[in-house]
Amino acid sequence: MHTAMQQIINGLSLGSIYALLALGYTMVYGIIKLINFAHGDVYMLGAFWGYFIINKYHVDFIVALLSAMIVTAFAGMLIEYLAYRPLRNSPRITALITAIGVSYFLENGMSYLFGANTRNFPQVVQQHNYTAFGISISNIQLLILVTAIILMVLLQLIIQKTKMGTAMRAVAVDQEAAALVGINPDHVISFTFGLGSALAGAAGVLIGLYYNSIDPLMGMTPGIKAFVAAVVGGIGSVPGAAIGGFLIGLLETGVQAIGLSAYKDAAVYVVLILILIVLPAGLLGKNVKEKV
Amino acid sequence: MTKKKLQANSLWLLVMIIGFVVINLLVYVGVIDSFIENMLVTIGINIILATGLNLIIGFSGQFSLGHAGFMAIGAYATGIILQTVPTVGGFIGSIIVGIVIAIIAAIIVGVPTLRLSGDYLAIATMGAAEIIRVVINNMKITNGAAGLFNIPQFATWPVVYALVCVTTIVIVNFAHSRAGRAIQAIRDDEIAAEAVGVNPTKWKLAAFVLGAATAAIGGSLHASYIQTIAPSDFGIMNSIALLIIVVLGGVGSMTGTFLAAIVLGVLDTVLQSFGTLRMVIYAVALIVIMVFKPSGLLGRYEFSFARVLNRHKKEDAA
Amino acid sequence: MSSLLQVEHVSKIFGGLKAVEDVSLHVEEGELVALIGPNGAGKTTLFNALTGVSPATEGTVTFNGVSLDKKKPYQVAKMGIARTFQNIRLFHQLSVRENLQAAMTHRYKEDFVSSILRLPTFTKKEALVNGWTDEILAKLDLSAVGDTITANLPYGTQRRVEIARAVASDPKLIFLDEPAAGMNPEETADLTALIRRLQSEFGLTVVLIEHDMSLVMNLAERIYVLEHGKLIAEGTPAEIQNNDAVITAYLGGGVHA
Repeated sequence: MHTAMQQIINGLSLGSIYALLALGYTMVYGIIKLINFAHGDVYMLGAFWGYFIINKYHVDFIVALLSAMIVTAFAGMLIEYLAYRPLRNSPRITALITAIGVSYFLENGMSYLFGANTRNFPQVVQQHNYTAFGISISNIQLLILVTAIILMVLLQLIIQKTKMGTAMRAVAVDQEAAALVGINPDHVISFTFGLGSALAGAAGVLIGLYYNSIDPLMGMTPGIKAFVAAVVGGIGSVPGAAIGGFLIGLLETGVQAIGLSAYKDAAVYVVLILILIVLPAGLLGKNVKEKV
Repeated sequence: MTKKKLQANSLWLLVMIIGFVVINLLVYVGVIDSFIENMLVTIGINIILATGLNLIIGFSGQFSLGHAGFMAIGAYATGIILQTVPTVGGFIGSIIVGIVIAIIAAIIVGVPTLRLSGDYLAIATMGAAEIIRVVINNMKITNGAAGLFNIPQFATWPVVYALVCVTTIVIVNFAHSRAGRAIQAIRDDEIAAEAVGVNPTKWKLAAFVLGAATAAIGGSLHASYIQTIAPSDFGIMNSIALLIIVVLGGVGSMTGTFLAAIVLGVLDTVLQSFGTLRMVIYAVALIVIMVFKPSGLLGRYEFSFARVLNRHKKEDAA
Repeated sequence: MSSLLQVEHVSKIFGGLKAVEDVSLHVEEGELVALIGPNGAGKTTLFNALTGVSPATEGTVTFNGVSLDKKKPYQVAKMGIARTFQNIRLFHQLSVRENLQAAMTHRYKEDFVSSILRLPTFTKKEALVNGWTDEILAKLDLSAVGDTITANLPYGTQRRVEIARAVASDPKLIFLDEPAAGMNPEETADLTALIRRLQSEFGLTVVLIEHDMSLVMNLAERIYVLEHGKLIAEGTPAEIQNNDAVITAYLGGGVHA
């Protein structure tokens, strides 16, 4: 029982990272139907920014987190402007390949500039472990969970309560109709990229604290896992992405806990395929039937 | 009409033979050294893999991201069998075993997932390929994550060349037959295709299975040429590398797939000397080509001797 | 009881909404029947139920003596029911020829080996298929555009190709879903002649949904009127024009007959 609870806590910490990343995937996909392959690399940029600013200016966690979010938001908007906007009316598979190109560019560009080696993330928050009822939880785990939940609540408020959020939902449903009622889709798409990338940047700083190590290729695997989480949750659905993220995090730690860590990735994909077979649009996705 | 087709087919045969003779000659006089030969073989294997993927994506319209999984099956079949039976017969047998297992795997993967559409299918096939890779990674017979070494080399360049010709003929002829019309109809409009009597499940699966079988051949050749394989050679990034060839050449154009495989193969070789910068340049080149040529190098253009002959005929008549 | 198409007590329910309610109708071999009704009356839903695209919730459909229950759309097509769509659905990247030939795949067999090796059996089959194609293209005045990619054709021609494709699947019965939608008067006149020829020359049974009342009254031998998912009238054009229920249903929209 204790181990199970312990694993749930570990799974939730990891899951909140996936959830933050999955939100970016799901928002971008919801609005322009693009699997933004470079999203995991934006998360890597966030981690590197955190590393840089903490080491250089000795800022605290909050400043590192917020500045990383701002930097990655701009990076995301810049990527959208340069690489994706010219392809707005091209086949979707072309945009996908471009996204892969951007991903290669960021990974290898960072390796070229700063070296491909792994580096230690500065421990800006001293780790403490709290133990209660035989379950141990670190302040960093709590920090990750709390930060992730605050950001998700904020995101939900932005999407549901602000004018920009309404515009985002409108563009996601019908870009042309949104344009007809005076919404500039380019602004909205740019904002969406900014928002999603900011969450990825935050996730990058959080993972740096959690795992204590970063490298230019760190975004690849979590990026793909987070996309899987978004698909499991129902791509385009914001609460779905959060649920999917936590689910994948729990699943991974669970499989690891029962001694099958070699199969943890396979387990994630088995669950993915099973869910898609039963619910082709994911847990909370809308299954739209084509009208004949 | 039939005579024209016979002429066109003879011309293609001639091209294949001339290509072989020319490469042979260049090897003989030393223009093609082992470095360039390596490049040519890599291009050949990529052509085998990418034409099969183009059949699935460009002709049947099913977005598969799991091609490396089927390639892995072929590679490991050859790697394992050649270690116990290091003969030509063993090599041929291993290719066949690889094809058979890949077909079975493709049916197991395809039946449930081919009902999914678009990106959902992509992510599901990607997951399936990863499952295959994880299984290989954890088996004894495959030597786990370390992989297999010292696989005897039977896949010399003439073997690869011959198999490029064979698989291309199979795929192109498949695409230009009753089956090809059925899968292209499904690609353009599945509901309409079904309304004229095309069974979507059956034909999508047929294209998927054929693509998987050729991927297994590519994997077998890869294993026996490189002589070393490990599960990490067949990951998501390898599936994506093949996807890039297909999209860069032009989705639905086999000529484009050939061209893109050659262009990327040469680019890769030329950029070898750039070290870390190589992948940065490669990435920029990819983005630039996609932004300025969104439908790929050749779009949907297909080179055809039959059409060239027809055009000449018309010009003569005029 | 020997009707070609026998529809009995068919209902189609979406969630709580009854889009089609307890519809029974029959179509005799060689007949030209129209199905009319105001927008949203359930006409296309009924077509979709009859062709297996979106099966009926209740009721039975028998075609040529065989039940269509649980038949998939491609199986229905193989049994001899073809259809066109309200919003044209062509194989837009394929040429007109290829569109027609894609509709013929169930009419012949071609095995993998002979098509890969281009064996004589393959060549013979292809010649046969090309023959069928040429014949339909010629009969429907499409020979000139045979090699054109259908996406590049004008709207009226696309409608014609869609009908040609339905014919290519060698049906007994053909459903036409608003074939005259978006056509100018000239094109409509051509279409009227074409639909007549489907019946007379190709020996097909035709069921059509249409809003153009002059076309319907002109062509149909018998008319069914659907309103709010229910059948409210059946009869010859003359009977329908004088039917009080029909006139009420169309009031506001007005029957321009």
